[in-house]
Amino acid sequence: MTTNEKIKKKLEKFLEKKNLSSIKVSVEDRIVTIAGLADTWDDVVQIGHYAGSLKGVRGIVNNTKSRDITERKDEAQSFFRDSGIRMKLPGKTDVVIIGAGVIGCFVARELSRYNLDVVVVEKESDVACGATKANNGQIHTGVGEKSGTLKKELCAEAWPLYQKIAEDLDVPYEKNGLLILLTEESLPQWVPSFLSRIILTYIVPYFVAHRGKSVGDTPRVVNRKELLQMEPHITKRAVKAILMPGYGVTCPYKITIALAENAVENGVTFVLDTEVLDIMVENDAVRKVATSRGDISCRTVINAAGVYADVIAGMAGAREYTIHPRKGSILLFDKTEGYLTHQVSELRFPQDPHTKGGGVLETVDGNMLWGPTAVEVSDREDTSVSKSELETMVEKYHPAVPEFPLNSVITYFAGVRAATYTEDFVIGPSRVRGFIHAAGIQSPGLTAAPVIAKRVVDILRKSGVPLKEKEGFNPVRKAPPVFKELSAEEKTELIKKNSRYGHIVCRCEQVTEAEIVNAIHGSIPAVTMDAVKRRTRAGMGRCQGGFCGPRVAEILSREQGLPLERVTKKGGGSYIVASKTKVVS
Amino acid sequence: MNVDIVVIGGGPAGLAAALSAYRAGAQQVVILERDFELGGILPQCIHDGFGNFVFGEMLTGPEYAQRYIEEIEKTGISVMLNSMVVDLDSDKKVTVVNPEEGVVTMKAKAVILAMGCRERTRSQILIPGERPSGIYTAGVAQRFINMEGLLPGKKVVVLGSGDVGLIMARRFSLEGGDVEGVYEILPRAGGLTRNVVQCLEDYGIPLHVSHTIVDIKGKERVEGVTVAQVDERFKPVPGTERYIPCDTVLLSVGLIPENELSRKATIEMDLTTGGPVVDESMETSVPGIFACGNVVHVHDLVDDVSQAAEVAGKGAAACVKGTVERRDTVVSVKKGRNVSYVVPQIIRGHPKEDIVFYLRVKEIEKNVKVIISSQGEVVKEKKERIVKPPEMVKVQMEKAVLENVNEELHFDVIRLGE
Repeated sequence: MTTNEKIKKKLEKFLEKKNLSSIKVSVEDRIVTIAGLADTWDDVVQIGHYAGSLKGVRGIVNNTKSRDITERKDEAQSFFRDSGIRMKLPGKTDVVIIGAGVIGCFVARELSRYNLDVVVVEKESDVACGATKANNGQIHTGVGEKSGTLKKELCAEAWPLYQKIAEDLDVPYEKNGLLILLTEESLPQWVPSFLSRIILTYIVPYFVAHRGKSVGDTPRVVNRKELLQMEPHITKRAVKAILMPGYGVTCPYKITIALAENAVENGVTFVLDTEVLDIMVENDAVRKVATSRGDISCRTVINAAGVYADVIAGMAGAREYTIHPRKGSILLFDKTEGYLTHQVSELRFPQDPHTKGGGVLETVDGNMLWGPTAVEVSDREDTSVSKSELETMVEKYHPAVPEFPLNSVITYFAGVRAATYTEDFVIGPSRVRGFIHAAGIQSPGLTAAPVIAKRVVDILRKSGVPLKEKEGFNPVRKAPPVFKELSAEEKTELIKKNSRYGHIVCRCEQVTEAEIVNAIHGSIPAVTMDAVKRRTRAGMGRCQGGFCGPRVAEILSREQGLPLERVTKKGGGSYIVASKTKVVS
Repeated sequence: MNVDIVVIGGGPAGLAAALSAYRAGAQQVVILERDFELGGILPQCIHDGFGNFVFGEMLTGPEYAQRYIEEIEKTGISVMLNSMVVDLDSDKKVTVVNPEEGVVTMKAKAVILAMGCRERTRSQILIPGERPSGIYTAGVAQRFINMEGLLPGKKVVVLGSGDVGLIMARRFSLEGGDVEGVYEILPRAGGLTRNVVQCLEDYGIPLHVSHTIVDIKGKERVEGVTVAQVDERFKPVPGTERYIPCDTVLLSVGLIPENELSRKATIEMDLTTGGPVVDESMETSVPGIFACGNVVHVHDLVDDVSQAAEVAGKGAAACVKGTVERRDTVVSVKKGRNVSYVVPQIIRGHPKEDIVFYLRVKEIEKNVKVIISSQGEVVKEKKERIVKPPEMVKVQMEKAVLENVNEELHFDVIRLGE
């Protein structure tokens, strides 16, 4: 029996056992295609995961529908967005990158080292608008990943690069280390307490530490006394911890914006507010990408389309996997600078195989952050945070820092991970020449991104794309001044040069008008309220834009020469005001 | 730069405090205002209902503010606009930023905190759902309509029945918006009765008490909300959900005293009011730092803010002159039956004038008596026909009575006949 036949048989047997024989399976080139109707979305996901776990499988295309989901958005929404950005799509280029998340932007910046024409096409009005902006910013070491996965390999290779990347791009990065807590609840209740103590004290720490070493970290077992000195606010239930000093934290959208700006400086073109509608293929090779702003001819397409990667691959006839969206919600609290000095995650057995389950950390801006969670959803754009998720987050993360005041929450949000059923990154060429996958990027995708970009470049090189290094490539990008972080003398100096630095618009975060204007006129212009917020933090504080919101909207309107009615929160139809009030004449 | 008194905030509290400090003899008084004009929130409150107690007539917000601004202009009080205080320490060193001078540090003999309050947001009350545009706190919507001439949306659901929410429900109706209803999680309205009558009943806007929003839908702009009834413990009752299509959610779910600077100056806070603990002259736990207005506790009426601010101004002036006399032991104010909070929380000196105590009750009660006692002896009683949490109770205590009070002062609200 061939591998294809073996996979098919096993899967059919599984479906039979589940009383789902109506679901059809076909396997070609070790890529499994499943189609039919299941009862629930959970069934659909379970079938996909089972298929993905079979030996020899390369990819799962799961077209199964479920009865409990009436409307499943399978295609990217097709409407023309325009947030007032006048961006021209070139008619021809060497490489089109689809998607301006952290992956697309890392690839764009990596490719900008070479003499190539590169165009990034993004359907949203800014970079970092998908899963990237809802990431918790954690730089993993790969210690939690399964051996043999691309996730582990690339993550372990990537994390030591971050110091340099952060310096080059002038973005915050802090290698503050992760404390993996072992507590009285780490093991299931049925384990007898004498055994549990032995396991927690002698076995688990050394096992975890060993795994840490395998990804290049220098783990250390910390006893209870030292632990409580290091972190006085963590739970007293802790019996021991393993310190993983390699863990760090960055700001996922700031790094993406920095990458995009650096790529622009080195010659890459970004065309935002532009949706890919089709990909034309001739003789099994990419020829053209059709977008909402017209067609662009190219020989290479890099698919970094996140949750839509399978839809995009389908346009090229290279649908070799299905993305099953997995939502992660995050709870963000007011600034607590120094409440914790490390990231904290409580170890609980048994672990959910599909997620490491997030943790507790202080962001680079000093806010306490809990999450993310992991919930399978059928809608790729489901970024809602439900009541039960809010409750789950409190139940799951509060025990690690039990005295933390819950009433200091300032916001919550969700992102959707672009998981495949093989639960690993898909980075490589496809059956269509010139169409390259950078897909299935879930955690630790932010960490692995710089190495993913390098792999994509290697694939281009191998496929014969001439890569000649560009003269004058500048890897360094300078962030605009952040008023709040300057000394009194520096502040006064700046205000003398530009009085708008003396006008504080966002009170909570002390963001000045000049910083907002800088963001609006940046090389990736901030054209929405959220885009301004990601660049400057205006509206990110405890009042959530209550004071500065209308003022930021006014500045956006003034600087872009648009009426306020056309200013949006995040592009599309997310307008801030509906109309003028009644006119008294 | 050395000055006598720095007033942080040029809203109603700051204006009244500066004026009274100046009139009480303070020489150099500086108001630091972060906005481009004085008045705080008043310029956007174009409805009437201000000034009934202070001026004996009904004024609009801008008119009320203007009366104070004109008085200020006649004095030697200096006003720094577009000036945001970024730091304050317990030595009364104030760091301020403005476009003309950059970063300026001032050393004051006394500081009056009058930063006001901010609105509670959607996240702070944990409304689940998506995060589209179209979710506004009532004050933001008020600014858009009254200051910018822009209508935030056309079909509105209001959550919370605080005064600003009620006033904005009416304002949207006047502008041709469709206000579907006001939903209040408590079993009663959050705002003043006069506002429930004048803003909802007169406009046919339904008020749904014991209701809340359990979901918000909309990827870009708000498309609708799901409301549900809640039980006594504020949990949504299953089966009572109702979906309402709308494009705007207006929140009037409470105000939070803005005390970030107070915390920087290590001032002791009252967890119930959310503001500093103050004595009878509105002085905080840090000597020479006074506080007044909504920074201390959220008031219902601007008139009360102005009157309390005058006390702070006089206190600060006395502090600068060094004429303050202290008691040997501090009298602490205790809250008893059906009392949520009382301000001031302590008495430290020998009052030269009567003191007004502001108290908020926990529950609605009819035919009650506020009983103030000290060391087991009733020192004052005040009858009230009805007390409600949204309506502050004021009790004026004569200085002669206070002179004989020691250690503790108890406030209880007792039903008549008990």
